[in-house]
Amino acid sequence: MRETRLWSLHILVIPVIAVLLGMHFAVQHYAPVFYGMSVEKARDFATMIERGRSTAQFVVYILLLAAGLYHGLYGTRGIIRELPLSPAMAKVVDWGILTVGVLIFALGAYVTWWTFVHPGV
Amino acid sequence: MANKPTAYNNRLGLKGWVYAGNYTFERYLYIGHRLSGLGLIAYMVLHIIETANRMRGEEAWAALMGLFASPVFKIVEYLLFAAAVFHAMNGVRLLLVELGFFLGKPQEPIFPYKSSVMKHRPLTYIIMLLAGLLMALGGSSLFFK
Ligand code: HEM
Ligand code: HEM
Ligand code: HEM
Repeated sequence: MRETRLWSLHILVIPVIAVLLGMHFAVQHYAPVFYGMSVEKARDFATMIERGRSTAQFVVYILLLAAGLYHGLYGTRGIIRELPLSPAMAKVVDWGILTVGVLIFALGAYVTWWTFVHPGV
Repeated sequence: MANKPTAYNNRLGLKGWVYAGNYTFERYLYIGHRLSGLGLIAYMVLHIIETANRMRGEEAWAALMGLFASPVFKIVEYLLFAAAVFHAMNGVRLLLVELGFFLGKPQEPIFPYKSSVMKHRPLTYIIMLLAGLLMALGGSSLFFK
């Protein structure tokens, strides 16, 4: 049951990734197409801070962090666990992956927050 | 002893990572899906660490973006884009298979047997053609604007 739930979550977050990563690409790469802005300008420090101060961007980044990291790290766990690991080793792998995920998510969330509350440039 | 039937020993192991036989079209797609998935997650982790550089201020950020504007990074960028397109398109195909779409109706197994993989294959080709088209479009806007 637990494995079924973990796998279902891996699949359920896919629509979230598809939409948010699509938006992320539109902002970072299709800025000339969608925002009438050069790519240099879209990635400029001031533009980035302005973007990150909006509530919508804050929500998008936190969700993309959670969904992308979960999907990718669950997939990595599956690949590693195809090896003939002893149950003890399998536990080590699970906890290792979980630790990496939590740490990277914490860093990303902190940076997103730092941008959100930035006084502006 | 190698195949002692325990809960965890009955797998191909490292050999299964590298070589597990049955090299059909879908098998190559599987390898591609795995490599692109690993590439994307590796990129994502580095990307989160790299974009955290904004906390070191405007100069540090501008220097980093300048580095990414170099030709080498443009190629790296394109490879990453191609990996994302392939992974997403093949991922949609996998979802359809896993949810049971386009596999044909279940039938009694009477010789000559029909394989659901073959039933699915025309769709597989269409999806891969679409992926190729998207990659070409992305590349053309990136390299020849
Ligand atoms: C729209 C985007 C995406 C779609 C449609 C998608 C779809 C899928 C599907 C269907 C699977 C196989 C699940 C299974 O068979 O149990 C999968 C596996 C995987 N995905 Fe994604 N994915 C997407 C984005 C990503 C991203 C952004 C990452 C990395 C951060 C990623 C990393 C992985 C990894 C590492 C695996 C495991 C591969 C394996 O077991 O060989 N995917 N993906
Ligand atoms: C294709 C090239 C990419 C570029 C040029 C790019 C660029 C950027 C930039 C400049 C930021 C800083 C925030 C902002 O400007 O609004 C950012 C943040 C972010 N990107 Fe990307 N990105 C790319 C691909 C990806 C991919 C493939 C993923 C996910 C798998 C991703 C996930 C994220 C996340 C989660 C953040 C927020 C990080 C945080 O707030 O700590 N990006 N990206
Ligand atoms: C996946 C990772 C990607 C990375 C890391 C990335 C990174 C970059 C970088 C560093 C530049 C140069 C920016 C500059 O000159 O200041 C750039 C330009 C550009 N990118 Fe991307 N990019 C990615 C994906 C994409 C995608 C998916 C598309 C569109 C399909 C795209 C379209 C463009 C275009 C059109 C430019 C040139 C725009 C201009 O110079 O006005 N990129 N990208």
